[in-house]
Amino acid sequence: MDLHAIAFWSFSALAVLSAFGVVFSKNIVYSVLSLISTLIAVSGLFFNLGAELIGALQILIYAVAIVVFYVLVISTVPQYKGQAVDPKYMLISIPVGFVIFMELAYVSIYGAWSSATGIFSPEVIGEVGNIKAVSSMLFTKYLFPFEVASLILLVAMVGAILLGRKEQVMEEGK
Amino acid sequence: MELLAVTIGIVIKSLIFIIGMFLLAAYLTLVERKFAGHVQQRPGPLHVGFHGLLQPIADALKVLTKEDIVPNFVDKKLFYLASLMAFVPAIMILAVIPFGEPIKLFGLEIKPYISDVNVALILALAFGSISIYGVIFAGWASNSKYPMIGGLRKAAVLIGYEVALGFALVGPIMLAGSFSLREIVEAQQGFFGAFIWYQPLAFVVYLFSVLAETGRTPFDVQEAEAELVAGYNTEYSGMKFGLFPLAEWYIATFVLSALAVILFFGGWNGPHIFGALSPYIWFLTKLFLVFMFLLWVHWTLPRYRVDQITEIAWKVMLPLTFLNIFITAGIVILKG
Repeated sequence: MDLHAIAFWSFSALAVLSAFGVVFSKNIVYSVLSLISTLIAVSGLFFNLGAELIGALQILIYAVAIVVFYVLVISTVPQYKGQAVDPKYMLISIPVGFVIFMELAYVSIYGAWSSATGIFSPEVIGEVGNIKAVSSMLFTKYLFPFEVASLILLVAMVGAILLGRKEQVMEEGK
Repeated sequence: MELLAVTIGIVIKSLIFIIGMFLLAAYLTLVERKFAGHVQQRPGPLHVGFHGLLQPIADALKVLTKEDIVPNFVDKKLFYLASLMAFVPAIMILAVIPFGEPIKLFGLEIKPYISDVNVALILALAFGSISIYGVIFAGWASNSKYPMIGGLRKAAVLIGYEVALGFALVGPIMLAGSFSLREIVEAQQGFFGAFIWYQPLAFVVYLFSVLAETGRTPFDVQEAEAELVAGYNTEYSGMKFGLFPLAEWYIATFVLSALAVILFFGGWNGPHIFGALSPYIWFLTKLFLVFMFLLWVHWTLPRYRVDQITEIAWKVMLPLTFLNIFITAGIVILKG
Protein backbone atom coordinates (compact mmCIF):
# COMPACT_ATOMS: atom_id res chain seq x y z
CA MET A 1 0.00 0.00 0.00
CA ASP A 2 1.46 3.33 -0.91
CA LEU A 3 1.04 6.61 0.90
CA HIS A 4 -1.73 7.84 -1.42
CA ALA A 5 -3.89 4.79 -0.75
CA ILE A 6 -3.42 5.11 3.02
CA ALA A 7 -4.30 8.80 2.86
CA PHE A 8 -7.34 8.10 0.66
CA TRP A 9 -8.80 5.45 2.95
CA SER A 10 -8.19 7.36 6.16
CA PHE A 11 -9.61 10.63 4.82
CA SER A 12 -12.66 8.96 3.31
CA ALA A 13 -13.31 6.95 6.48
CA LEU A 14 -13.10 10.17 8.46
CA ALA A 15 -15.40 11.98 6.03
CA VAL A 16 -18.06 9.24 6.12
CA LEU A 17 -17.90 8.85 9.90
CA SER A 18 -18.25 12.57 10.48
CA ALA A 19 -21.07 12.74 7.94
CA PHE A 20 -22.91 10.21 10.11
CA GLY A 21 -22.14 12.48 13.04
CA VAL A 22 -23.77 15.42 11.26
CA VAL A 23 -26.98 13.47 10.74
CA PHE A 24 -27.28 11.54 13.96
CA SER A 25 -25.99 13.93 16.64
CA LYS A 26 -28.71 15.01 19.03
CA ASN A 27 -26.80 18.14 19.98
CA ILE A 28 -26.67 20.65 17.10
CA VAL A 29 -23.27 21.99 18.15
CA TYR A 30 -21.85 18.48 17.76
CA SER A 31 -23.55 18.27 14.37
CA VAL A 32 -21.86 21.41 13.18
CA LEU A 33 -18.55 20.20 14.59
CA SER A 34 -18.91 16.99 12.58
CA LEU A 35 -19.73 19.10 9.53
CA ILE A 36 -16.43 20.95 9.93
CA SER A 37 -14.65 17.62 10.28
CA THR A 38 -16.33 16.28 7.11
CA LEU A 39 -15.34 19.35 5.11
CA ILE A 40 -11.72 19.17 6.25
CA ALA A 41 -11.55 15.45 5.46
CA VAL A 42 -12.92 16.13 1.95
CA SER A 43 -10.27 18.81 1.55
CA GLY A 44 -7.71 16.16 2.47
CA LEU A 45 -9.10 14.01 -0.36
CA PHE A 46 -8.62 16.89 -2.80
CA PHE A 47 -5.01 17.28 -1.67
CA ASN A 48 -4.50 13.57 -2.14
CA LEU A 49 -5.77 13.84 -5.74
CA GLY A 50 -3.33 16.66 -6.45
CA ALA A 51 -5.96 19.41 -6.53
CA GLU A 52 -4.25 21.62 -3.96
CA LEU A 53 -6.06 24.79 -4.94
CA ILE A 54 -9.51 23.28 -4.42
CA GLY A 55 -8.34 21.65 -1.20
CA ALA A 56 -7.06 24.89 0.26
CA LEU A 57 -10.13 26.83 -0.87
CA GLN A 58 -12.35 24.07 0.55
CA ILE A 59 -10.88 24.73 4.00
CA LEU A 60 -10.85 28.51 3.65
CA ILE A 61 -14.31 28.99 2.16
CA TYR A 62 -16.43 26.04 3.27
CA ALA A 63 -14.88 24.93 6.54
CA VAL A 64 -14.29 28.47 7.78
CA ALA A 65 -16.09 31.29 6.00
CA ILE A 66 -19.46 29.57 5.60
CA VAL A 67 -19.67 27.25 8.59
CA VAL A 68 -18.55 30.02 10.94
CA PHE A 69 -21.88 31.74 10.33
CA TYR A 70 -23.75 28.51 11.17
CA VAL A 71 -21.68 28.31 14.33
CA LEU A 72 -22.38 31.93 15.21
CA VAL A 73 -26.12 31.38 14.94
CA ILE A 74 -26.16 27.99 16.62
CA SER A 75 -23.93 28.97 19.52
CA THR A 76 -26.42 31.64 20.57
CA VAL A 77 -29.10 28.93 20.95
CA PRO A 78 -29.35 27.73 24.58
CA GLN A 79 -28.18 24.19 25.13
CA TYR A 80 -31.51 22.67 26.16
CA LYS A 81 -33.19 23.96 23.00
CA GLY A 82 -30.34 22.63 20.88
CA GLN A 83 -31.02 19.09 22.09
CA ALA A 84 -34.75 19.09 21.36
CA VAL A 85 -35.74 16.64 18.62
CA ASP A 86 -38.79 17.13 16.45
CA PRO A 87 -39.74 13.85 14.68
CA LYS A 88 -41.90 15.52 12.03
CA TYR A 89 -38.81 16.99 10.30
CA MET A 90 -37.34 13.51 10.16
CA LEU A 91 -40.33 12.35 8.11
CA ILE A 92 -39.86 15.17 5.61
CA SER A 93 -36.13 14.56 5.35
CA ILE A 94 -36.44 10.92 4.26
CA PRO A 95 -37.96 11.49 0.76
CA VAL A 96 -35.78 14.56 0.14
CA GLY A 97 -32.67 12.67 1.12
CA PHE A 98 -33.72 9.77 -1.12
CA VAL A 99 -34.13 12.07 -4.14
CA ILE A 100 -30.69 13.62 -3.59
CA PHE A 101 -29.18 10.15 -3.19
CA MET A 102 -30.74 9.00 -6.47
CA GLU A 103 -29.42 12.07 -8.26
CA LEU A 104 -25.87 11.51 -6.99
CA ALA A 105 -26.08 7.81 -7.84
CA TYR A 106 -27.23 8.62 -11.37
CA VAL A 107 -24.43 11.13 -11.89
CA SER A 108 -21.75 8.77 -10.62
CA ILE A 109 -22.98 5.63 -12.39
CA TYR A 110 -23.80 7.10 -15.80
CA GLY A 111 -20.44 8.71 -16.22
CA ALA A 112 -20.99 12.42 -15.98
CA TRP A 113 -17.48 12.43 -14.54
CA SER A 114 -15.86 10.93 -17.61
CA SER A 115 -16.46 14.18 -19.52
CA ALA A 116 -13.99 16.01 -17.30
CA THR A 117 -11.10 15.89 -19.75
CA GLY A 118 -9.48 18.83 -21.47
CA ILE A 119 -6.12 20.21 -22.45
CA PHE A 120 -4.95 19.97 -18.84
CA SER A 121 -3.66 16.44 -18.46
CA PRO A 122 -1.95 15.57 -15.16
CA GLU A 123 1.45 16.16 -16.80
CA VAL A 124 0.53 19.71 -17.87
CA ILE A 125 -0.89 20.46 -14.40
CA GLY A 126 2.30 19.18 -12.80
CA GLU A 127 4.27 21.62 -14.91
CA VAL A 128 2.25 24.84 -14.64
CA GLY A 129 0.61 24.22 -11.28
CA ASN A 130 -3.00 24.19 -10.16
CA ILE A 131 -3.53 27.91 -9.83
CA LYS A 132 -2.32 28.86 -13.29
CA ALA A 133 -4.38 26.09 -14.88
CA VAL A 134 -7.59 27.13 -13.14
CA SER A 135 -7.12 30.86 -13.63
CA SER A 136 -6.19 30.62 -17.30
CA MET A 137 -9.45 28.75 -17.98
CA LEU A 138 -11.47 31.00 -15.68
CA PHE A 139 -10.33 34.25 -17.29
CA THR A 140 -10.45 33.14 -20.91
CA LYS A 141 -12.91 30.42 -21.88
CA TYR A 142 -15.25 30.69 -18.90
CA LEU A 143 -15.03 34.44 -18.31
CA PHE A 144 -18.68 35.12 -19.10
CA PRO A 145 -20.22 32.36 -16.90
CA PHE A 146 -17.81 33.41 -14.15
CA GLU A 147 -18.96 37.03 -14.29
CA VAL A 148 -22.63 35.98 -14.43
CA ALA A 149 -22.14 33.80 -11.34
CA SER A 150 -20.59 36.70 -9.44
CA LEU A 151 -23.46 38.96 -10.52
CA ILE A 152 -25.97 36.45 -9.13
CA LEU A 153 -24.04 36.39 -5.87
CA LEU A 154 -24.10 40.18 -5.78
CA VAL A 155 -27.87 40.20 -6.24
CA ALA A 156 -28.24 37.67 -3.43
CA MET A 157 -26.05 39.84 -1.21
CA VAL A 158 -28.10 42.96 -1.89
CA GLY A 159 -31.23 40.98 -1.08
CA ALA A 160 -29.78 39.73 2.19
CA ILE A 161 -28.82 43.26 3.21
CA LEU A 162 -32.33 44.50 2.37
CA LEU A 163 -33.92 41.75 4.47
CA GLY A 164 -31.54 42.23 7.36
CA ARG A 165 -31.58 46.02 7.70
CA LYS A 166 -33.28 47.71 10.61
CA GLU A 167 -36.40 49.70 9.82
CA GLN A 168 -35.34 52.64 11.89
CA VAL A 169 -32.34 53.32 14.07
CA MET A 170 -33.16 54.45 17.60
CA GLU A 171 -31.13 57.38 18.80
CA GLU A 172 -29.32 56.81 22.05
CA GLY A 173 -31.07 58.26 25.12
CA LYS A 174 -34.53 58.64 23.60
CA MET B 1 11.45 1.07 2.09
CA GLU B 2 11.81 4.47 0.52
CA LEU B 3 8.28 5.26 1.65
CA LEU B 4 9.20 4.47 5.24
CA ALA B 5 12.27 6.69 5.04
CA VAL B 6 10.23 9.62 3.66
CA THR B 7 7.59 9.20 6.36
CA ILE B 8 10.15 9.03 9.15
CA GLY B 9 11.95 12.07 7.71
CA ILE B 10 8.77 14.13 7.66
CA VAL B 11 7.78 13.02 11.16
CA ILE B 12 11.19 13.93 12.59
CA LYS B 13 11.20 17.29 10.85
CA SER B 14 7.68 18.10 12.07
CA LEU B 15 8.64 17.11 15.62
CA ILE B 16 11.67 19.40 15.47
CA PHE B 17 9.46 22.28 14.30
CA ILE B 18 6.76 21.65 16.92
CA ILE B 19 9.10 21.19 19.87
CA GLY B 20 11.20 24.13 18.76
CA MET B 21 8.06 26.26 18.54
CA PHE B 22 7.01 25.20 22.06
CA LEU B 23 10.37 26.14 23.58
CA LEU B 24 10.47 29.37 21.61
CA ALA B 25 6.93 30.28 22.67
CA ALA B 26 7.88 29.69 26.32
CA TYR B 27 10.75 32.13 26.00
CA LEU B 28 8.67 34.60 23.99
CA THR B 29 6.52 34.93 27.12
CA LEU B 30 9.63 36.08 28.98
CA VAL B 31 10.53 38.51 26.18
CA GLU B 32 7.04 39.93 26.28
CA ARG B 33 6.95 40.25 30.09
CA LYS B 34 10.36 41.90 30.21
CA PHE B 35 9.41 44.26 27.40
CA ALA B 36 6.04 45.10 28.95
CA GLY B 37 7.77 45.72 32.26
CA HIS B 38 10.22 48.19 30.82
CA VAL B 39 7.48 49.94 28.82
CA GLN B 40 5.62 50.47 32.07
CA GLN B 41 8.81 51.45 34.00
CA ARG B 42 9.05 48.33 36.16
CA PRO B 43 11.69 45.60 35.92
CA GLY B 44 9.48 42.64 34.93
CA PRO B 45 10.46 39.08 36.08
CA LEU B 46 13.68 39.47 38.03
CA HIS B 47 14.16 36.84 40.73
CA VAL B 48 14.02 33.39 39.08
CA GLY B 49 17.46 33.00 37.56
CA PHE B 50 19.57 35.82 36.20
CA HIS B 51 17.13 38.66 35.36
CA GLY B 52 14.28 36.14 35.29
CA LEU B 53 15.86 33.84 32.69
CA LEU B 54 14.37 30.72 34.30
CA GLN B 55 10.91 32.25 34.75
CA PRO B 56 9.30 30.44 31.73
CA ILE B 57 10.36 27.07 33.18
CA ALA B 58 8.90 27.94 36.57
CA ASP B 59 5.70 29.12 34.88
CA ALA B 60 5.44 25.95 32.81
CA LEU B 61 5.87 23.76 35.90
CA LYS B 62 3.30 25.77 37.78
CA VAL B 63 0.72 25.62 34.99
CA LEU B 64 1.27 21.89 34.43
CA THR B 65 1.00 20.87 38.10
CA LYS B 66 -1.96 23.08 38.91
CA GLU B 67 -5.24 21.43 39.89
CA ASP B 68 -7.38 21.19 36.77
CA ILE B 69 -10.84 22.44 37.64
CA VAL B 70 -13.69 21.64 35.25
CA PRO B 71 -16.92 23.43 36.21
CA ASN B 72 -20.04 21.29 36.69
CA PHE B 73 -22.26 22.59 33.91
CA VAL B 74 -19.80 22.81 31.06
CA ASP B 75 -20.10 20.61 27.99
CA LYS B 76 -17.16 18.38 28.95
CA LYS B 77 -16.13 16.96 25.56
CA LEU B 78 -16.26 20.31 23.81
CA PHE B 79 -14.60 22.03 26.76
CA TYR B 80 -11.54 19.79 26.38
CA LEU B 81 -11.62 19.88 22.60
CA ALA B 82 -11.83 23.66 22.33
CA SER B 83 -8.44 24.33 23.89
CA LEU B 84 -6.87 21.96 21.36
CA MET B 85 -8.86 23.45 18.49
CA ALA B 86 -7.39 26.85 19.26
CA PHE B 87 -3.89 25.49 19.57
CA VAL B 88 -3.40 22.94 16.79
CA PRO B 89 -4.28 25.13 13.75
CA ALA B 90 -1.93 27.86 14.98
CA ILE B 91 0.96 25.42 14.99
CA MET B 92 -0.14 23.85 11.68
CA ILE B 93 0.73 27.06 9.82
CA LEU B 94 4.38 26.14 10.47
CA ALA B 95 3.97 23.32 7.96
CA VAL B 96 3.95 25.74 5.02
CA ILE B 97 6.36 28.46 6.19
CA PRO B 98 9.86 28.28 4.73
CA PHE B 99 12.71 29.47 6.94
CA GLY B 100 15.38 29.57 4.26
CA GLU B 101 16.90 27.93 1.20
CA PRO B 102 17.82 24.22 1.22
CA ILE B 103 21.40 23.71 2.44
CA LYS B 104 23.93 20.90 2.09
CA LEU B 105 25.20 19.56 5.39
CA PHE B 106 27.48 16.47 5.60
CA GLY B 107 26.33 15.42 2.13
CA LEU B 108 22.64 15.53 3.09
CA GLU B 109 20.29 18.07 1.62
CA ILE B 110 18.39 19.71 4.47
CA LYS B 111 15.32 21.75 3.68
CA PRO B 112 14.39 24.25 6.41
CA TYR B 113 10.67 23.85 5.70
CA ILE B 114 8.21 20.98 5.95
CA SER B 115 6.44 21.37 2.61
CA ASP B 116 6.58 23.70 -0.37
CA VAL B 117 3.12 23.51 -1.92
CA ASN B 118 2.27 26.17 -4.47
CA VAL B 119 -0.85 27.25 -2.56
CA ALA B 120 1.10 27.83 0.65
CA LEU B 121 -0.32 31.28 1.23
CA ILE B 122 -3.96 30.18 0.95
CA LEU B 123 -3.23 27.26 3.26
CA ALA B 124 -1.64 29.55 5.85
CA LEU B 125 -4.73 31.76 5.72
CA ALA B 126 -7.00 28.73 6.01
CA PHE B 127 -5.22 27.26 9.04
CA GLY B 128 -5.06 30.68 10.64
CA SER B 129 -8.80 31.11 10.38
CA ILE B 130 -9.72 27.59 11.55
CA SER B 131 -8.51 28.55 15.04
CA ILE B 132 -11.61 30.77 15.28
CA TYR B 133 -13.59 27.62 16.17
CA GLY B 134 -11.50 27.02 19.27
CA VAL B 135 -12.51 30.42 20.57
CA ILE B 136 -16.21 30.18 19.73
CA PHE B 137 -16.57 26.63 21.06
CA ALA B 138 -14.64 27.52 24.22
CA GLY B 139 -17.16 30.29 24.77
CA TRP B 140 -20.13 28.03 24.10
CA ALA B 141 -18.92 24.98 26.03
CA SER B 142 -18.20 27.02 29.15
CA ASN B 143 -21.95 27.58 29.51
CA SER B 144 -21.35 30.93 31.12
CA LYS B 145 -22.06 34.50 30.08
CA TYR B 146 -18.63 36.16 29.93
CA PRO B 147 -16.95 33.43 27.86
CA MET B 148 -19.93 33.42 25.50
CA ILE B 149 -19.71 37.17 24.90
CA GLY B 150 -15.94 36.96 24.55
CA GLY B 151 -16.18 34.17 21.98
CA LEU B 152 -18.78 35.99 19.90
CA ARG B 153 -16.78 39.22 19.97
CA LYS B 154 -13.68 37.43 18.81
CA ALA B 155 -15.65 35.79 16.01
CA ALA B 156 -17.03 39.14 14.84
CA VAL B 157 -13.55 40.70 14.83
CA LEU B 158 -11.98 37.72 13.07
CA ILE B 159 -14.60 37.55 10.30
CA GLY B 160 -14.01 41.20 9.44
CA TYR B 161 -10.23 41.10 9.48
CA GLU B 162 -9.88 37.72 7.73
CA VAL B 163 -11.48 39.32 4.67
CA ALA B 164 -9.26 42.41 4.81
CA LEU B 165 -6.19 40.24 5.38
CA GLY B 166 -6.99 38.05 2.40
CA PHE B 167 -7.36 41.01 0.07
CA ALA B 168 -4.25 42.73 1.46
CA LEU B 169 -2.17 39.71 0.48
CA VAL B 170 -3.32 39.98 -3.14
CA GLY B 171 -0.87 42.89 -3.73
CA PRO B 172 2.35 40.95 -3.01
CA ILE B 173 0.93 37.93 -4.83
CA MET B 174 0.34 40.02 -7.97
CA LEU B 175 3.86 41.47 -7.86
CA ALA B 176 5.47 38.06 -7.37
CA GLY B 177 3.11 36.21 -9.70
CA SER B 178 2.94 33.21 -7.39
CA PHE B 179 1.29 31.83 -4.25
CA SER B 180 4.37 29.88 -3.25
CA LEU B 181 6.10 31.57 -0.33
CA ARG B 182 9.54 30.58 -1.65
CA GLU B 183 8.88 32.17 -5.03
CA ILE B 184 7.58 35.31 -3.34
CA VAL B 185 10.86 35.60 -1.43
CA GLU B 186 12.86 34.94 -4.59
CA ALA B 187 10.98 37.79 -6.32
CA GLN B 188 12.34 40.29 -3.79
CA GLN B 189 16.04 40.74 -4.53
CA GLY B 190 18.11 43.57 -3.12
CA PHE B 191 17.29 46.22 -0.54
CA PHE B 192 14.80 48.08 -2.75
CA GLY B 193 13.33 44.83 -4.07
CA ALA B 194 11.45 44.20 -0.83
CA PHE B 195 7.71 44.52 -1.35
CA ILE B 196 7.32 46.95 1.56
CA TRP B 197 8.43 49.74 -0.82
CA TYR B 198 5.76 48.86 -3.38
CA GLN B 199 2.97 47.74 -1.05
CA PRO B 200 2.94 50.10 1.95
CA LEU B 201 -0.86 50.17 1.98
CA ALA B 202 -1.12 46.39 2.01
CA PHE B 203 1.43 46.26 4.82
CA VAL B 204 -0.56 48.67 7.01
CA VAL B 205 -3.73 46.61 6.51
CA TYR B 206 -1.74 43.44 7.20
CA LEU B 207 -0.45 44.87 10.50
CA PHE B 208 -3.95 45.83 11.63
CA SER B 209 -5.22 42.37 10.71
CA VAL B 210 -2.42 40.61 12.59
CA LEU B 211 -3.16 42.65 15.70
CA ALA B 212 -6.86 41.81 15.40
CA GLU B 213 -6.34 38.11 14.66
CA THR B 214 -3.96 37.54 17.53
CA GLY B 215 -6.12 39.58 19.91
CA ARG B 216 -3.44 42.07 20.80
CA THR B 217 -4.24 45.33 22.44
CA PRO B 218 -5.90 47.85 20.24
CA PHE B 219 -8.24 44.97 19.33
CA ASP B 220 -8.30 42.72 22.40
CA VAL B 221 -12.03 43.09 23.04
CA GLN B 222 -12.48 39.33 23.35
CA GLU B 223 -10.86 39.34 26.75
CA ALA B 224 -11.25 42.97 27.81
CA GLU B 225 -10.59 42.19 31.45
CA ALA B 226 -12.47 45.21 32.80
CA GLU B 227 -15.70 44.05 31.12
CA LEU B 228 -15.45 40.29 30.63
CA VAL B 229 -13.15 38.99 33.44
CA ALA B 230 -10.95 37.08 30.97
CA GLY B 231 -13.24 36.56 27.98
CA TYR B 232 -13.61 33.12 26.46
CA ASN B 233 -11.09 31.41 28.75
CA THR B 234 -12.66 32.53 32.04
CA GLU B 235 -13.73 29.01 33.07
CA TYR B 236 -10.46 27.32 32.14
CA SER B 237 -7.65 26.46 34.53
CA GLY B 238 -4.26 24.79 34.50
CA MET B 239 -2.64 23.84 31.20
CA LYS B 240 -5.95 24.11 29.29
CA PHE B 241 -5.96 27.77 30.24
CA GLY B 242 -2.30 28.09 29.34
CA LEU B 243 -2.83 26.81 25.79
CA PHE B 244 -5.05 29.73 24.75
CA PRO B 245 -2.62 32.62 25.27
CA LEU B 246 0.24 30.40 24.13
CA ALA B 247 -1.52 29.75 20.83
CA GLU B 248 -2.94 33.19 20.34
CA TRP B 249 -0.39 35.60 21.72
CA TYR B 250 2.81 33.76 20.95
CA ILE B 251 2.55 31.08 18.29
CA ALA B 252 0.03 32.92 16.08
CA THR B 253 1.86 36.22 16.44
CA PHE B 254 5.19 34.54 15.69
CA VAL B 255 3.89 32.74 12.63
CA LEU B 256 2.09 35.80 11.25
CA SER B 257 5.25 37.88 11.79
CA ALA B 258 7.15 35.25 9.80
CA LEU B 259 4.57 35.65 7.01
CA ALA B 260 5.02 39.43 7.16
CA VAL B 261 8.79 39.03 6.78
CA ILE B 262 8.31 36.69 3.82
CA LEU B 263 5.74 38.87 2.07
CA PHE B 264 7.04 42.37 2.72
CA PHE B 265 10.65 42.30 3.95
CA GLY B 266 12.32 39.95 1.50
CA GLY B 267 12.41 36.87 3.73
CA TRP B 268 15.93 35.52 4.12
CA ASN B 269 17.47 37.81 1.48
CA GLY B 270 20.26 40.02 2.78
CA PRO B 271 24.00 40.68 2.46
CA HIS B 272 26.06 37.51 2.92
CA ILE B 273 28.11 38.82 5.82
CA PHE B 274 27.64 35.89 8.19
CA GLY B 275 28.83 33.17 5.82
CA ALA B 276 26.63 30.12 5.31
CA LEU B 277 24.34 31.02 8.18
CA SER B 278 23.45 34.50 6.96
CA PRO B 279 19.99 33.64 5.44
CA TYR B 280 18.84 32.26 8.80
CA ILE B 281 20.31 35.15 10.77
CA TRP B 282 18.63 37.67 8.48
CA PHE B 283 15.31 35.87 8.63
CA LEU B 284 15.31 35.57 12.41
CA THR B 285 16.48 39.19 12.87
CA LYS B 286 13.68 40.54 10.69
CA LEU B 287 11.20 38.21 12.37
CA PHE B 288 12.27 39.39 15.81
CA LEU B 289 11.97 43.05 14.78
CA VAL B 290 8.43 42.59 13.45
CA PHE B 291 7.46 40.65 16.58
CA MET B 292 8.86 43.38 18.82
CA PHE B 293 6.99 46.00 16.81
CA LEU B 294 3.73 44.17 17.49
CA LEU B 295 4.60 43.99 21.21
CA TRP B 296 5.39 47.69 21.18
CA VAL B 297 1.96 48.48 19.74
CA HIS B 298 0.31 46.13 22.23
CA TRP B 299 1.84 47.68 25.33
CA THR B 300 1.45 51.31 24.24
CA LEU B 301 -2.06 51.76 22.90
CA PRO B 302 -5.45 51.70 24.67
CA ARG B 303 -8.29 49.47 23.52
CA TYR B 304 -10.90 50.25 20.87
CA ARG B 305 -14.61 49.69 21.44
CA VAL B 306 -15.97 46.55 19.82
CA ASP B 307 -18.24 48.33 17.33
CA GLN B 308 -15.40 50.65 16.31
CA ILE B 309 -13.22 47.65 15.53
CA THR B 310 -15.66 45.96 13.16
CA GLU B 311 -16.44 49.33 11.63
CA ILE B 312 -12.76 49.93 10.85
CA ALA B 313 -12.51 46.45 9.32
CA TRP B 314 -15.42 46.80 6.91
CA LYS B 315 -15.44 50.53 6.18
CA VAL B 316 -11.75 51.45 6.15
CA MET B 317 -9.53 48.39 5.76
CA LEU B 318 -11.52 46.58 3.10
CA PRO B 319 -11.88 49.60 0.73
CA LEU B 320 -8.17 50.36 1.23
CA THR B 321 -7.24 46.85 0.10
CA PHE B 322 -9.47 47.22 -2.99
CA LEU B 323 -7.73 50.49 -3.80
CA ASN B 324 -4.38 48.76 -3.36
CA ILE B 325 -5.36 45.92 -5.69
CA PHE B 326 -6.58 48.43 -8.28
CA ILE B 327 -3.35 50.47 -8.21
CA THR B 328 -1.13 47.38 -8.21
CA ALA B 329 -3.03 45.89 -11.15
CA GLY B 330 -2.57 49.14 -13.08
CA ILE B 331 1.18 49.17 -12.39
CA VAL B 332 1.58 45.51 -13.30
CA ILE B 333 -0.24 46.04 -16.62
CA LEU B 334 1.73 49.21 -17.45
CA LYS B 335 5.10 47.62 -16.67
CA GLY B 336 4.11 44.51 -18.58
